[in-house]
Amino acid sequence: MLAYRHGDAGAFETLYVRHKGPLYRFVLRSVKVRALAEELYQEIWMRVIEARGRYSVQAKFTTWLYTIAHHRITDHWRKRGLQLVEADDADPPAPRAYEPEPRAEGRQGLQRLAAALAALPELQREAFLLHEESGMTLAEIAAATGATEAAAKSRLRYALAKLREAMGDG
Amino acid sequence: MAEKDRDEKVSAGYRALGSEEPPRALDEAILARARERPTRWRVPLTRWRVPLSIAAVLVLAVGVTLRMLPQRPEAESVALAPQVIQTPRPAAPVPAAETAKPAAPAASRELARAAAPAAPAAPTAAAAPTAAAADAAVAGAVAEPRMRAEGAAKLSVAPLTPEAWLARIAELRKQGRTREADESLAEFRKRYPDYKIPESPR
Repeated sequence: MLAYRHGDAGAFETLYVRHKGPLYRFVLRSVKVRALAEELYQEIWMRVIEARGRYSVQAKFTTWLYTIAHHRITDHWRKRGLQLVEADDADPPAPRAYEPEPRAEGRQGLQRLAAALAALPELQREAFLLHEESGMTLAEIAAATGATEAAAKSRLRYALAKLREAMGDG
Repeated sequence: MAEKDRDEKVSAGYRALGSEEPPRALDEAILARARERPTRWRVPLTRWRVPLSIAAVLVLAVGVTLRMLPQRPEAESVALAPQVIQTPRPAAPVPAAETAKPAAPAASRELARAAAPAAPAAPTAAAAPTAAAADAAVAGAVAEPRMRAEGAAKLSVAPLTPEAWLARIAELRKQGRTREADESLAEFRKRYPDYKIPESPR
């Protein structure tokens, strides 16, 4: 990013190619509507381009990129009148004991996983997607989302527990 | 990331959901924008540097002028007030000479004395208040300290309040000095266009 800041457009292309897929899926699975996801995705990159003059190495580029993405998506939810709140106060569900009925496998399991992912509260889904798509650590997720590390950890655990359960592996 | 925060099965399931990529057109639009930015930014900054500097200086000048404005009405009100009408017009022909040397009060005083006789019938009460106002405005900062030095008692520099001014006009009328009263009232109206004037001074 520093190279791009100093006028090397090729450096931006390298960054873009590296991050485009994960960021696109992060946005798409956050907002769930492809046209909207494309619009937000483009806006996020525009912000990166416009902010390049202010970029300084205070965090990994990935963290900075997803911080911008987090803010843009949060703005989107706010414009739609949605407020992001922690959805679970209790502990995440404990792994269930062995159940005799056969677990669903294959396509059906994936469909349930997709449905469970879509049904996750936004903050939990965000933590999960950041973890899966960008490979961010809890500390990085916390930094990108403006949360504490404990909150990021809690969100991720809830998300994983629900997804595990949806896959019939709880 | 602690091991318990990972779930390989969930991760594998998630990856199996698909790996969508942005449309090619979107990639191209973003990359094109990224490429054009560096040159676009430099040109306007260079091109606008001089106009922006000029604009900043103008804004500063207007700001300073606006800050000085409250002083002018005081000078005008002093000049237009009835007490002032009765005082000599001290420096009518020499404002340029005086303003050129604001730091030389002694020289200004001399110039003012030399010029005083040339002022046409200045000491009379009928002297035009607008002329006095013009003098006061032009002589500005130079005239005031000089007047103070030559005798503050002769010239009351305290600005009149509207009420006091109207009272003064009424007094002029009582004394039969109708023309002065009318002129003073006209100046009063210019000075306080929104002031509701009671019947008596008219």
